[in-house]
Amino acid sequence: LSLWAVAVLLVALLCLDPHSRVSSAPICTHGPSGCHVPSLADLFDRVIQHSARMHSLSNDLHSEFEQYFLPSKNSIGKIYRKCHTSSILTPNGKENAQKLAREELTEVILKLLMAWRDPLFQLHQSMAHQQDFNSFSSNKALEMGDMAHELRKGVEKVAEKMRVLGMLGNSVTGLSAAETMLPISDSGEAMSNYELLYCFRRDSNKVQNYLKILKCRIVPEHDC
Amino acid sequence: MRNSGAVLILTFIAKLILQAAGVSPPGKPRLTSCRSPEKETFTCWWEPGGDGGLPTTYALYYHLENSETVYECPDYRTAGENSCYFNKNDTSLWVNYNITVVASNALGKNISDPVEVDVVYIVQPNTPENVKAVVVHDEQGPFVRVSWEKPRTADTRSGWITLIYQIRVKQEKDEKWEEYDAGMQKYYNVFSLHPDKECMVQVRCKPDHGFWSEWTQTTYVKMPNYIPRERSLWILITIFSIFIVLILTWTLNVKRNSMKLCLLPPVPGPKIKGFDKQLLKSGKTEDIFNTLVIQGFPPTTDYENLLVEYLEVYDNEEQELVLEGKELSEDFMKSKSSSDNDSGRGSCDSRTLLLEKCMDGREGSGSDQHQYSQHGETSWASTESSESQGAEPGSPESTDGRAKTWPVVFPQPHHHYPVGAVKPAYHSVPEILNQLSPHATPSNYHQLHHQDIPQQELRFSKSACRHSQSYNQFNLDGIDTPAPGVPPLPSLEYVEVQRVNPENMLLLRPLSDPNREPERSDCTGEDYSKVKVVTSHNILLLQRDTSHQCVDDYSQADQCTTQQPPHPCKPAVHQWNSVMPQEGMRVMGNGYVDSTVLMPSF
Repeated sequence: LSLWAVAVLLVALLCLDPHSRVSSAPICTHGPSGCHVPSLADLFDRVIQHSARMHSLSNDLHSEFEQYFLPSKNSIGKIYRKCHTSSILTPNGKENAQKLAREELTEVILKLLMAWRDPLFQLHQSMAHQQDFNSFSSNKALEMGDMAHELRKGVEKVAEKMRVLGMLGNSVTGLSAAETMLPISDSGEAMSNYELLYCFRRDSNKVQNYLKILKCRIVPEHDC
Repeated sequence: MRNSGAVLILTFIAKLILQAAGVSPPGKPRLTSCRSPEKETFTCWWEPGGDGGLPTTYALYYHLENSETVYECPDYRTAGENSCYFNKNDTSLWVNYNITVVASNALGKNISDPVEVDVVYIVQPNTPENVKAVVVHDEQGPFVRVSWEKPRTADTRSGWITLIYQIRVKQEKDEKWEEYDAGMQKYYNVFSLHPDKECMVQVRCKPDHGFWSEWTQTTYVKMPNYIPRERSLWILITIFSIFIVLILTWTLNVKRNSMKLCLLPPVPGPKIKGFDKQLLKSGKTEDIFNTLVIQGFPPTTDYENLLVEYLEVYDNEEQELVLEGKELSEDFMKSKSSSDNDSGRGSCDSRTLLLEKCMDGREGSGSDQHQYSQHGETSWASTESSESQGAEPGSPESTDGRAKTWPVVFPQPHHHYPVGAVKPAYHSVPEILNQLSPHATPSNYHQLHHQDIPQQELRFSKSACRHSQSYNQFNLDGIDTPAPGVPPLPSLEYVEVQRVNPENMLLLRPLSDPNREPERSDCTGEDYSKVKVVTSHNILLLQRDTSHQCVDDYSQADQCTTQQPPHPCKPAVHQWNSVMPQEGMRVMGNGYVDSTVLMPSF
């Protein structure tokens, strides 16, 4: 009888004790507190996926434009005006990209993304207002703008993480909000939608490439 | 002037001669494609437009976007004939190249159309290398595992290029290739291959934004000869089904008989209830048919009991008329069935039925108007004269001229029906009596003592039921006839009420009474009297026409609480003349009361 009483008491204590209550354990492989802190590799993967999606969207929009609005040009070559981001110095080759330090590469990425925040918004606005576009294209433009914004945030997080992990020096300066560049070409006119799309397609490709290089440099895997 | 003209003519002639000789400036070259295998170098190819018969040289010139500096192709050889190879140093990504080719020969040159190229978008990798296909033996069957390596030139390690792979498989004698996407991995397992056949495999790759590479050389692999597992499954199924069949057969065998019964049920023999086949065999037909007779069919007796032809009236020794009003059920019926010789009367004649029907009919018609106390007060209702007096099926005797009394149901003295439970039923006597012929056969009258009546409830079924032909025959069994001059009557006979005397006695007189006439001294003209009103004090108020002088034979009341007659009732009730005159109630000399006059409360 005493054993039973003891058992009952124990059970009662267990039940009453809040700390010993059974609960589902979170999958926390990293970090002491909270749950599921993603690793740097995970962060990079996410960011790269994001950039891939963004680039494919820009590619689609550009082809649609070419197909429906500029049929007269030949498929290979066109003449364009300067993109507004051409003032940002970006490595134009693999060696050049690999020569850049991580911080600089990160900064270039962030600069590019920052430079496209407003122009993408304008692009969506102008596409939405024109009746030439169907809602599908306009939605794509909107999504593209959102993704650029999210990507920037993601890259900032990655940079933060890297800084925390000591991979980045403190030379990465926080980009000031004044880094807005208006997409004005040499002649002073605002760029057309097609030109914006052309430029953004290129820049999103750059971003994707740079991120991949960055990742494979920082988180080396066998098959990067 | 002459010289220029001569030069022109000479040039023209020279051209003609040259054309006749088949030489001309070169045709326009055309850039066919530019490709980069690894996104670090690229090559452009052109096709010549025709050399014009003379040796022609080609030169490629390019300039970068937004720059006017024209460069010539750095390498014409590496990539072969009519190509230009740009090495790493000369290749810039994310920059448009404006490329033209110039063909020139002795006679002239020709420039191709310019082409804009961005190296990033013209990437086409080399084919994958080192493709291997191996047969792997597994529990579920053998399959082919294909593995390969990335093209050497592509730098996936640094993440510069991301390649995805695709393989295709064709088995011997198949027409089409089966394509499978392998993603970024460098191996693939091919299942569902037929055994004992040769298998051809090819692989190719593509960068995430670019062109597919060429297919690799075919790799051959031979599938081994094996029995597919599926056959064993079939064997198992066959054995199982055989097993089940055996079990079923055995079960059927065991249940053979019941199966027979189920499938081929025997034809049932004839079955007649109560019919004994053995009897038939034994032979006595009487017995047989007696068994077929159902007792009690056809029903003969019961409905006759519904015809209540008479009311049993008992006259006890105290000269009290105990009009036994029983429950209109068994008593009456029993008495009836034995002594009823009035056949032919309809069901409306029955007291029971009358009462019931009257009860039903009276439901809404103001049964509450009959204040019906349990203390023996009676109220006599009279009904409208307008009620149909037509020949009703229940009143064949209406033309008989017999005086009829109202059917009275006198309950047992100890029965006190609650007022609401059993609705008072009234017959309006005058209604019935209207149909009577004016003359009344003389009959004896009997005196009904009503002394008990105050303690009892008198009920009168109302002729508002419309078929209340109140034929009542007082059963005079056992009625003493204390009244003088009242001869003993046969047991069943029609009686008529001569009058109601002050002691609340109904003076009855049998219809066949020969003495009626002389006793009807007072009123001759009328055959019946009408009950005008039944008051609350057991008063039957009779009416009579003013034209008649019948006075004496009228019921009297202890009190006169008449409602209708304007004149107060005199104590000497014999003089009812004043009471009577109104509604044409007629008073019959023989004491019948015709109660066709409405009660005002109706």
